[in-house]
Amino acid sequence: MRSAPSVEDVVAMLREEGIADLPAGFPAEGDLFAAGMDSMAVMQLIVVAEERFGAVIGPEDAGRENLGTPADLAALIGRRLAS
Amino acid sequence: MTCEVLVLGAGSAGLAAAVTAARAGARVVLLERHGFAGGMGTASLVHTFCGLYLMGEEAVVANPGFPAEMEERMRGATGAGPVKMGRVWVLPQHPVEFVGIADALLEESGVTVLYHSEALRAEQDADGWQVEVAGRGGIFPIRAEAVVDASGDAVLAALCGAATATTAAARLQRPAYIFGVQGGGESGLAVAGRIVDGVRRGLLPKDALGLHFRASGRAGESFGTIDLTGAEEGDYDPLDPGCLARLEVAGRRIAATAVEFLRREAEGWGAAYVSQWPVRAGVRESRRWVGKQVLTGAEILNGTRHVDEIALATWPLELRETNRGPKLKYPENDRAAGIPRGCLIPRALERVFVAGRCISCDHEAQASIRVMGTCFATGEAAGRLALEARKPQATAL
Repeated sequence: MRSAPSVEDVVAMLREEGIADLPAGFPAEGDLFAAGMDSMAVMQLIVVAEERFGAVIGPEDAGRENLGTPADLAALIGRRLAS
Repeated sequence: MTCEVLVLGAGSAGLAAAVTAARAGARVVLLERHGFAGGMGTASLVHTFCGLYLMGEEAVVANPGFPAEMEERMRGATGAGPVKMGRVWVLPQHPVEFVGIADALLEESGVTVLYHSEALRAEQDADGWQVEVAGRGGIFPIRAEAVVDASGDAVLAALCGAATATTAAARLQRPAYIFGVQGGGESGLAVAGRIVDGVRRGLLPKDALGLHFRASGRAGESFGTIDLTGAEEGDYDPLDPGCLARLEVAGRRIAATAVEFLRREAEGWGAAYVSQWPVRAGVRESRRWVGKQVLTGAEILNGTRHVDEIALATWPLELRETNRGPKLKYPENDRAAGIPRGCLIPRALERVFVAGRCISCDHEAQASIRVMGTCFATGEAAGRLALEARKPQATAL
């Protein structure tokens, strides 16, 4: 089983895949939606998280509480890898 | 039929050009292929005005005059104010209200409107232009002292063999397909999660990824938006009717399949249905003019200003070279860039002015200036330039 990604891994993924245009030093608790991530980008995020980390994010996970910050996102991906 | 200013296309830019010239006293004829004005904002159901506001903390209208007037009229019609989407401000607009506002503006300003018509041929002589126009009753000539090409596709340039530029098919901005829905339920992230799940389970085509819904502001109504690849069969060519036909059919198929899927699976969608197809898919980029100046993406990103600028470009470079969502490039320090006058003036033709998404610029800059707020501004500027180009005896009065 693959290991859970770090917050840095998640920020790198968001940048490299063009999901969110995050400035340097974007905080782990920074608001991704305020940084421009929208529901369209979230679809791309779910697809990319599966490709990169093998984490299957389901429809029930698609909420701000799970996707709102890099830290939330890293935690969600970790949980979906463990389950 | 004769006029002083002939405007090709009644989209955001053509509407602005025609109304501006007519208000200044010119005899204006406006040609349009549909039965209403508004272009992308009506026929293609694009329901936000982008490029109206400066970037920053407050929503401040960037260009006075016609763009500011449209902003005020639309706010009055919908009751909705500007909304911040990520780092930029937009104004939600309703296509039905847009048609009504355009009808009123055209009537008040005295523009002669010819709907359901297309320009077929154009020739220049000493006094101006002779343009042949096709309607269902036949082909008839219009004489004009100056022409504004707000066709979106640089139609006049093609008719008279002037210099144009077109981005390679693989890099053209992908088209949007927007449709109306009644009775949708859960939205936003919940629907996003559902759609990815539907694609994963093979119930939805891969092209449905990216489909999202936005409430229209009217009871029960929302708009669904998909980006298409445009390459349903062969290369994407927004000027080829065969390609456009495949595009329209692909858009309808994806939309209908997705709404059917959401009816079965999504909360509150049980009685939803597609209530409106667009008249045409939303082409973002096609052929453009080569003018005396060519605005570049680098100038927009640097916030470059020009002594002869006619309007401000305030929208980021919104690149959609794939259908997997936009890539936004923001100008340095959120600065607005100037659009120089020469971008509206063809390199080697007299008495022609260009407005809207087909002004003279490169592929990257086009990704900023194509939006409706900016088209209102370039349209108004082209209308003013056309006034100055009228025959001397007309302007001397």
